[in-house]
Amino acid sequence: MADKNRKHRPQALKTQQTLGDMLAERGVSRRSFLKFAAYTASILALPPTAASAIASGLAAARRQSVIWLSFQECTGCTESITRASSPSIEDLIFDFISLDYHHTLQNASGHLAEAAREQAMEENRGDYLVVVDGSIPLKNDGYSTIAGISNRQMLEETVAHAKAVIAVGSCATFGGIPGANPNPTGAVAISELTDKPVINLSGCPPIPEAMTGTIAYLLSFAGIPELDHLGRPKAFYGEAIHDRCYRRPFYEKGQFAKSFDDEGARQGWCLYEVGCKGPVTYNACATLKWNGGVSFPIQSGHGCLGCSEPGFWDLGGFYKPLSAAKDDALKYAAGAAVVGAAAGAAASMAVRAKRNKLMKAAQAAVSDSEKEEN
Amino acid sequence: MELLEFARGPALTFALTVFIAGVVFRIASLVFMWRTRDSSVGSSREEPAALAAVKEIARRMWPLPTYRHRSLFQLINGYIFHIGLAIIVFLLLPHILFIKDLVGLSWGHLPNNLVYAVSIVTLISLIAALVMRISNPAQRIISTFDDYFSWLVTFLPVLTGLIATMHLGARYETLLALHILSVCLLLIYIPFGKIMHFFLVFVTRSQTGAHLSHRGAQQL
Amino acid sequence: MPGGGAPCQTQHLTGMARAVLTEVARMLEALAADGTTASIDLRSLPMTDADREQLEASLGRGEVVAELEIAGRSTIHETAYAGAWWICHRGANDRVSSEEIAVCPVPEILASHPADIESAAVRLKEDLLENHSSQAEASNG
Repeated sequence: MADKNRKHRPQALKTQQTLGDMLAERGVSRRSFLKFAAYTASILALPPTAASAIASGLAAARRQSVIWLSFQECTGCTESITRASSPSIEDLIFDFISLDYHHTLQNASGHLAEAAREQAMEENRGDYLVVVDGSIPLKNDGYSTIAGISNRQMLEETVAHAKAVIAVGSCATFGGIPGANPNPTGAVAISELTDKPVINLSGCPPIPEAMTGTIAYLLSFAGIPELDHLGRPKAFYGEAIHDRCYRRPFYEKGQFAKSFDDEGARQGWCLYEVGCKGPVTYNACATLKWNGGVSFPIQSGHGCLGCSEPGFWDLGGFYKPLSAAKDDALKYAAGAAVVGAAAGAAASMAVRAKRNKLMKAAQAAVSDSEKEEN
Repeated sequence: MELLEFARGPALTFALTVFIAGVVFRIASLVFMWRTRDSSVGSSREEPAALAAVKEIARRMWPLPTYRHRSLFQLINGYIFHIGLAIIVFLLLPHILFIKDLVGLSWGHLPNNLVYAVSIVTLISLIAALVMRISNPAQRIISTFDDYFSWLVTFLPVLTGLIATMHLGARYETLLALHILSVCLLLIYIPFGKIMHFFLVFVTRSQTGAHLSHRGAQQL
Repeated sequence: MPGGGAPCQTQHLTGMARAVLTEVARMLEALAADGTTASIDLRSLPMTDADREQLEASLGRGEVVAELEIAGRSTIHETAYAGAWWICHRGANDRVSSEEIAVCPVPEILASHPADIESAAVRLKEDLLENHSSQAEASNG
């Protein structure tokens, strides 16, 4: 069985073997491709009959060189995609790719690590995938550097001859937490800094199946899956949480939990009132769920944070309902009332003054004519 | 998402600020106007001003039989969309939560589906009101921009709210943003037009009631 | 769905089982008529736990059960309806990674792959040669 904890191989051996031959050498039969393909077809929402095509595509593919760049990030995306326990179907993806550069998982460090990256870029010129997590600071290149060079520079030189870029996690796709108000580092999304095709796998972190499924799709079909207007694969980000949420009937009936652990919450009622952003969030949490299908935030009793959407940290607060104002909308209310009152008084005074003037003039005219008469 | 963030954020803040400033301005400018002092002796039938005021407000909720039959449809239609709007605004949970976030008050709500049905009735009623205004020659002649625009800024939130809940035509976050922006438009326009009647009707009816009572006029 | 929903949802029968059975019936007919194979991905359907149990009970068990060890455990059993097979793939910690009902003479994954057969033939030949030479050594020594 493939050993996920295998050491980083010396880059001199760029394999021309197909994945099928590679696994066969390790005593793993072609059946594993079929099992992996069945799993992948399922999470990509492809018909089960696509599994054959995926299996043969993968078996004939070469091991894909992947360079993983980590910038302003928390490593949560790496945590999501990796497993700590025994090898499993989800780990097969690590056999199908050659993870030639990854801060957390690689063996080498320092100059050797950077040399490995450069060698992988050279040997797989035009054919490697770049996976990026974390956002890039633009305000000052010095805010985030690796091996002495800025994130921006590392991105530019690494994607120059890449086949495609996968931005993983909300930081890389939309700016994420570094990009949240007031965005002190000037953090931007990866897609703003390159013209290469970028697949956005947003989420904080993304569902692991979204990452493995997308890579498997790229390997099997040698093409990019269908993307939505934000560059996210429709297979995982095409549906809003609200439209697949099992608590939806309670929303329609108007049965809402008013606070955590109240009677409504215990009955499993809708979490709109405690801040669920499900209606405006697109992700696969309600169907694929987390930890291999165990649960997802709403099922566990907490409203959706909207973590796969741009700027979700600045939506006004995780516990503010979607219909409430994002900011303190009455911030200027007192001032507005004062201004309104003052303006109203002033307007009235102006009219009064005019009236008094007219009345005085009229009275003066009357007394003048009286004088004349007399 | 950016449009929704704008709608829920700066747009609402701006709209509410203008709304408060505008409404206070209108009320203050009335309050500080001079009042013609009526030094005449009141009729023997005069009631206390406050009582007369309240009675007049109630009295004008329903016209005298002489006038009633001519405008009955308009009257009933008016009540339908007023009550409909009240139900939509004050008895739908997401709206209650909006108010609760602003001022801390909240109360019970109706099932969402029931409010959607009321919204459809309200929309039809509003359209009927517009049709009547346009098809009646006298009304058409005297109608101003304020009449039509006030209708529009009242109609749009109900329409966009329904479209949003039905997820019709665009992504939900866009529809929700448009709904909130239409409400911002309504809030900004209220101080400038005839929708101020939501407050002023009580002022004018009170004043008329007190004045007429002073004169000894009596309801038949 | 694996993991289920809230307690109030998982024991609720929605009628999905019957819908799936109807689809399986249609596919079996097609298979009998002209050999067309088909599959239903159970993971993608909004079935509650109760629905799934009902479906499994309705389909029943046939004569064949297969256990596979490929990157985790997988089980295949023929249902009481010949040609309809229930395939359950498990991954880490024995969690279900995909589940389908395959309508076919025999699921593709059971058959040995030509490439595997080729390398197995070579390997057996080599093993035989090894055995022969070590036997020869043993008898000589």
